[in-house]
Amino acid sequence: MPDLVTLTVDDRQVEVPKGTGLVEAAQAAAIEIPVFCYEPRLGPPVGACRMCLVEIEGMPKLQAGCTLTAQDGMVVRTAATSASAAEGQESTLEFILVNHPLDCPVCDKGGECPLQDLTFRYGPGSTRMSFSKLTFDKPIPVSPLIALDRERCILCYRCTRFSEDVAEDGLLIARNRGAQSEIATFEDEPYRSPFSGNVIELCPVGALTSTLYRFEARPWDIQNVPTVCTGCSVGCNVSATIREGKVKRILSRNHPEIDRGWLCDKGRFTYPHLRATDRITTPLRRGPKGLEEITWDGALDSAEAMLREAEGGIVTALSGSETSEIAYALGRLLREGLGAHSAVLPEATSDALDAFRLPLSAIAEAELLVVVGDDPVVERAPIVDLWIKEAGRRGADVVTCSPTGTVQTQPGGGAELCRELSEPRNRLGRRLRRAARAVLIWSGPGGGGGARIAELAHDLGFDGKPGCGAFHLPATPNARGAAEAWSVAADQDEIDVDHVKLLVVSGDDAAAAPSVRSLAERADAVIVMTMFHELAGGWADLILPATAALERDGTTMNLEGRIQRLRRAVLSPCPDELTWISKLAERFDVDISPHAAGVFAKLAERLFRDLSLDEIGLHAPLPPRHAYETPAAATTPAPTPLPTPTDVHFVGELRLQRYQPLFSGPAVDRVPELSFQRPPREVELSAADANRRGIASGDAVLVRSNGTSVELRASVNRKLVDGVARVAAEHAADLHPSVEVLKS
Amino acid sequence: MPARPEVVFAGTNGGALDRVEDYEAAGGFRALAKARAMAPDDVIAELEVSGLRGRGGAFFPTGRKWAFVPKPEQLAKPHYLVVNADESEPGTFKDREIILRVPFRFLEGCLIAAYAIQSQHVFVYIRGEYEREFEVLRDALEAMRKRDLLGEITVVLHRGAGAYICGEETALLESLEGRRGQPRTKPPFPAIAGLYAAPTAVNNVESITTVTSVLELGAAEYATLGVENSTGTRVFSLSGDVVTPGNYELPHGITLRELIYDVGGGVPGGRDLKAIIPGGSSTAILTASEIDTPLDFDSLVKAGSSIGSAGVVVIDDRCCMVQLGIRVSQFYEHESCGKCTPCRVGTRWLTQILQKIEDGRSSQADLDLLLSVCDRILGKCLCPLGDSDAIAVASYVDRFRDEFQAHIETGRCPLGGDSSLEGILAPSAQHERHLHEVVHA
Amino acid sequence: MTTAIYSRVQKLRKQYPEPTSAVLPALRLAQEEHGGWLPPEALREVADALDVTPAFCLSIASFYDQLRLEPVGRHLVEVCTNVSCALAGAQQVVEAFERGLGISAGTTSADGGFTLGTVECLGGCGWATVVAIDNRHRLRVQAEDVAGIIEELHAREA
Ligand SMILES: Cc1cc2nc3c(=O)[nH]c(=O)nc-3n(C[C@H](O)[C@H](O)[C@H](O)COP(=O)(O)O)c2cc1C
Ligand code: SF4
Ligand code: FES
Repeated sequence: MPDLVTLTVDDRQVEVPKGTGLVEAAQAAAIEIPVFCYEPRLGPPVGACRMCLVEIEGMPKLQAGCTLTAQDGMVVRTAATSASAAEGQESTLEFILVNHPLDCPVCDKGGECPLQDLTFRYGPGSTRMSFSKLTFDKPIPVSPLIALDRERCILCYRCTRFSEDVAEDGLLIARNRGAQSEIATFEDEPYRSPFSGNVIELCPVGALTSTLYRFEARPWDIQNVPTVCTGCSVGCNVSATIREGKVKRILSRNHPEIDRGWLCDKGRFTYPHLRATDRITTPLRRGPKGLEEITWDGALDSAEAMLREAEGGIVTALSGSETSEIAYALGRLLREGLGAHSAVLPEATSDALDAFRLPLSAIAEAELLVVVGDDPVVERAPIVDLWIKEAGRRGADVVTCSPTGTVQTQPGGGAELCRELSEPRNRLGRRLRRAARAVLIWSGPGGGGGARIAELAHDLGFDGKPGCGAFHLPATPNARGAAEAWSVAADQDEIDVDHVKLLVVSGDDAAAAPSVRSLAERADAVIVMTMFHELAGGWADLILPATAALERDGTTMNLEGRIQRLRRAVLSPCPDELTWISKLAERFDVDISPHAAGVFAKLAERLFRDLSLDEIGLHAPLPPRHAYETPAAATTPAPTPLPTPTDVHFVGELRLQRYQPLFSGPAVDRVPELSFQRPPREVELSAADANRRGIASGDAVLVRSNGTSVELRASVNRKLVDGVARVAAEHAADLHPSVEVLKS
Repeated sequence: MPARPEVVFAGTNGGALDRVEDYEAAGGFRALAKARAMAPDDVIAELEVSGLRGRGGAFFPTGRKWAFVPKPEQLAKPHYLVVNADESEPGTFKDREIILRVPFRFLEGCLIAAYAIQSQHVFVYIRGEYEREFEVLRDALEAMRKRDLLGEITVVLHRGAGAYICGEETALLESLEGRRGQPRTKPPFPAIAGLYAAPTAVNNVESITTVTSVLELGAAEYATLGVENSTGTRVFSLSGDVVTPGNYELPHGITLRELIYDVGGGVPGGRDLKAIIPGGSSTAILTASEIDTPLDFDSLVKAGSSIGSAGVVVIDDRCCMVQLGIRVSQFYEHESCGKCTPCRVGTRWLTQILQKIEDGRSSQADLDLLLSVCDRILGKCLCPLGDSDAIAVASYVDRFRDEFQAHIETGRCPLGGDSSLEGILAPSAQHERHLHEVVHA
Repeated sequence: MTTAIYSRVQKLRKQYPEPTSAVLPALRLAQEEHGGWLPPEALREVADALDVTPAFCLSIASFYDQLRLEPVGRHLVEVCTNVSCALAGAQQVVEAFERGLGISAGTTSADGGFTLGTVECLGGCGWATVVAIDNRHRLRVQAEDVAGIIEELHAREA
C-alpha cells in the first residue's frame, strides 16, 4: 500500500499516491490542467511552455503545475476557480498564438490538435498582435518521412527531448537562441533514427507531420483499428488509421508494459507495402511458358496433387511471422493430414524462458543488465533498445557483450560467454547472482540462445527472484507462437527428411531467406505463399498469394510469451490463408475452422489453458511464470532451426560479421521513403585493423573472400573488436565467413 | 565625501594585489588558515553572523545558502562549488575589476567556501568575453598551485561563450554540463541537485571575495559596516552620464546622491539628471527626484526597485525613455534563451510595440497593450529574465508616462532626433536583417 | 588537423567529471583552429572527439554568441551598444568604423579582412565605449579614436 497524500484541487479533495504529479492528481479529481510540453515519458518535466500555470496556496507566484508533485494539504486552483490562473493560461495561449499561423484548415493535425482544442476552450477570441509573424520556407524535410512546418512549431521541445533523452540519438535539435530558436537537424542531413516517427505523434501541433500521411485524410473520415505490430518480436500495440478501406497511417497504442507508446519506424511506416505494385492477388502455377495465373480451385487441385505425391517427403519452411492460427492450421493439414513432415524455422525457440518471464518494462527498473549476442538489440527488437536506454538513464549498469560491446567478444562468442558467466568465480556472474533486479538478454545470432540464456538464468539462481529475468530476442515476430502452434497441431513426431520431395514455403520472410532458397534447390517441387511475385517467381512451382498482418485476424506471441490479438484493419485483395487452408484440409479429412477465432479456440484448448480472446482484450496481460525445466526435458517436437552464418568454420584474416538490419526485408523493400534508413554500403573495421591496412573512414575498399569480392566503403568503428569485418547482410552478397579487406 | 572603508579592495591602494608575494605580504591567505582551523559548520555560522548576502543579484544570505547544502554524510555524492563570474548584467562591471585587482583574495574565498561546504571541486564559470581576466586567474591559480595552497581541491576555470542567460545559476549549471544554457525549473535547488545532479553552491565573485574579508575581519566586525539587512560594503558600478564613472566600494546605505555627486562628480556638462537605473538594467528605473534613496536592499524595495547587481546607470535629460525601453528590451529579446513561451515571445513583442511608439505610428491602445504584455510576462516565466524586461519597461512607462504619451499624441519623439540613444544599433537588429519576414494580414 | 583536435579534446575532457562538459572549450578550440568560425567539418571533428553528434554540437554552438557558424574576417571588431556605452556615444563609434572599414555593422569586408558588429554589454560600462578587437577590449573608445585603431590593424596585417 503506497503512502497517500490528500490535496484540494478547485475545492475538490482528492487522495493520490505520494509522488503523483500534480497534473495526474488533478486528473484524478476530474480536473484538467492543460499542458503542451509536459510528457512524462520524456523524462522529468521541463516547465517550458507555461500552459499549465496554476495558483498554489502559499506561493506568491503562479506555478507551472506540470513541474510539481502532489503534497499533503496542498491547495491548488486552476483556471476554473482562480482568476489569476485563468489569466496566466490566457497569457500563455496568447503568446503561443503570436507566431502560430492558424492554418488549421490545411493542417493535418486539424481536428486532433491539442493547440486547436485548448485555443477553442481557453483562448482569446481575437488577436492583439499586429506585427508580421515569423515565417519560414515550408515544409522543411526533416527526413523523407517527416516534414516540418516551422511556423506552426510552438517550441515545446518534445521532439528534441525525445531525440536526446529517449532515443538518445542526438540528431533532432534546437538551433539558435531566443526568438530565433528552431527545430533542426545538422546541415540538412535527414533525421535518421529507427525511432524518428515518434516525434510526429509527440508534436502537439501540426509542425511535424508524416510525409506518407500528409494531406491524405481528415480526422472525421477515418477509423482507427486497434491491432498489434508484427515488424519484430516486440509486438508493439498500434492503431491502424483506415480511410476508404486503405491503411493511411499507423499510430502507437500505448501498452505500458510493452512499448510505452513508442514505435519504431519499421512498424510505423511499412504499411504502404500492402499496396505495392508487385503484389500477387491470384495463384500462379508454373507451366510450359513459366508462371501462369490460375483459379483458386485450380490452385487447390494442384496443391492437393503435389502434397499427395510428396507424402513422406515434405518440408515446411515457416517464417515465424505467421499468426499462431495459420501455423496451427498448416500444422494440422501437414502433420495430421499428411502424416509425414518436418518443419524449419529461421531460429530455434525455447519455452524454458517462461520461468524467467518479466514484462519488458521491467528492463527499465533493472540495476544490472547483461546483453549477450552479436546483433545490436536495435536491429532485432528496437523497442527493447529504448527500454535498455531508459535503464541506463535511471542508473542501471548496462553490460553489452558483443563485437561492439562494453565487453568485446568475437562473433558467435555468446554461448562461450554464457558458460563463463555461470562459473562461480566469474566477477560479472557473481554480481548477477547478488543483484535483486538483474536482466539477461540474448540478442542473436541463432535461437539456441533462448535455451542457453534460460539455463544461465537458472544457474545464476534467478528462479526464485521475481525481480530477475531473461529475454531472448527472436529474429521473427511470432517464432514462439508459430513453433508451439505447429508442435501441438498433431501428436506425431517430427521426421528427418532426407530427400525433400516438396518444400512448402510459408510467407515472405522464409521466401526471402537464402537458406530457404538453398533448401529449394534440393527439393523436387516447391509451393510458396508470398505477397510478392519477385520473391518466388524464379523457383516456385505453385505460388499462393499471402496476406499481411494488417489484413489478418488472429493472435501472435511476442518475445515475452505474451499472446496478443491481431485485428483485421483492411480486407486483403485475396482470400486469406485460413480460408484456403481449411478448404484444402477438408480434402485430407482434417477439420479446420476458416476463421481465426475458431482456430484460436482449438489452439487455446491445447496450448493456452483455454484462454479466451476476451481475456486478451485490448492490452494483453502477461502470463505467469512457469517452473523451469531443463531444455532436454521439454519433449514437444519443434521445428528445426536453420543454420546461421556464424556456425560455419572460420579460417582467414578477418571474420565476416553479417548482421540483419532492422530496415530490411520484403516489406521495407517496397517503401521507397524508408530507403534512407537502410545501412550504407560499408564495411566496419576496428581502428587497429584499419590502421594496419592503411584504411581510413570513407575509403573505397574491396572485401574479398575465396572466389568472391564486394566493393564497399570503409568505416572505422572505434568500438568494434579487432579481427572482424562487419557488413549488413544485404551488402555482404556471397562472401564467406573469412574475408580480407584491401584498399581498392 | 562619504567614508570609504575597503574590504574587497583592502590593501590595494587603488592598484592591484595581483602578485602572490604582495598578497601574502599584505596578510593574504590568513583567512584561509583561520577557516581551516575551524569546523566547516562554524565557518558557515560565521557567515550567517556577518549578514553577508549574495552580490549576484538575488541578495540571498550566503551562509544560509551553504547551510542548505547537505553534509557529505547525508548525501554521498561529490559536492561542488560553482562561482558565477559570468557578469553580464548591463551596467555591471565589478566582478571583472575584482578579478583583476584582487585575484588571490577571490581564489582564497573559493577555497574557504569549498571548505565550508566540504567540496573538493571548484568551477569558476567566467564569461567568455573576459580574456585578460581569465589569464589573470589562470596565472594566479598556477602561482597558488606552486605554493601548494590548493591542497586536495581542484579549481577549474570554465569559460562561457557569450550568453547572458548563463549568469542565471541553473542555466550556468546546464552550460557547465555541456548543454544549451537554459534554466532548469526549481525545485530541486542547486544546493540539493545542482551540477551533475549533486549538491552545489553557486555564488557570485564579489560574494566569494567578501567571504575572505569576513573571515579576516571577523563576522561581527564586518557586520558593523553598512546598514541593517544590508551589512558590509558593496562594489557599486557607476556608469552612464556621470563625470567619473567606475567601480566604487562603499558601505551599503549611502544614497544615490552621494554616489553620483560626491563620488562620481555629478552629471557632466551641467546637464540635468533625468533618471537612474539603480541595480543593473533589470531593475526598475528611478527619477531624479528619488536621488536621496539609500542604496541598500530594503530602501530600494521601498522605492519600488531593487539593488540588483548594484550597477548604477546615470541618465541625463538627453535620453528618450521610449528609446531606452527599446534598447533594454532588445537586450532581453536577444538574450532570451528561448525555452519558455512568455519570455521568448513576449520580449520580442515588447520591442516591436515600443518601436511602433517611437516611430510615431501608435495609438493609446498600443500603450495599453505594452503594459498588458508586461503584465502577461511578469510572474509567468521559467526564470527571472523575462520578468526583468517587463519590470524595466513597465517602470519607464510608470515613471515617464508623459513622455510616452507625447510620442503617441504628437506622433514623434519629443527629443526630435537629439536623444543620446538615437539610432543605436542593437545586435538583435543586426540579425533581424537575416530573418525571412512577410507581412501578415 | 583533425587528430590534433582529437587528442587535445581528450585532455580537456579529463578536467571534468562528465566529459560533455568539455563541449564549450572544445568548440572554442576548434574555432581557433578553423580561422575564427566553426564550419560543418569543425563541428564534426568536435563531435567525434567528444562522442556526441555533430547536430548536438550545432545546437550548442548556435546558442552562444561567441561561437560563430559563419566565416569571419581576419579581424573582428565588436562595439558594445548597450545602454551605458550608447549613452557615451557608441553609435558614433559604430558609424566611424563603418566609414573607416567601408562595411556596415553585421557584415564582413569583401577581402575577408574585417568583420564589424555590435554586441551586447561587454562588462565595461564604466569605461565606455568598449570595443572588442579580436576579443581584446579597448576601453573609452571615442569616434575620433577609430581611424587610429583601423590604421593600427592595417599595420598588423602588413
Ligand atoms: C537572467 C539572470 C542573470 C544573472 N546573471 C548573473 C551574473 O552574471 N552574475 C552573477 O553573479 N549572478 C547572476 N545572476 C544571479 C544568479 O542566478 C545567482 O543568484 C547568483 O549567482 C548567486 O550568487 P550570490 O548568492 O553570491 O549572489 C543572474 C540571474 C538571472 C535571473
Ligand atoms: S516541432 Fe512540435 S514537438 Fe517539436 S518543439 Fe515544435 S511544437 Fe514541439
Ligand atoms: S505543460 Fe507545464 S510548462 Fe509546459
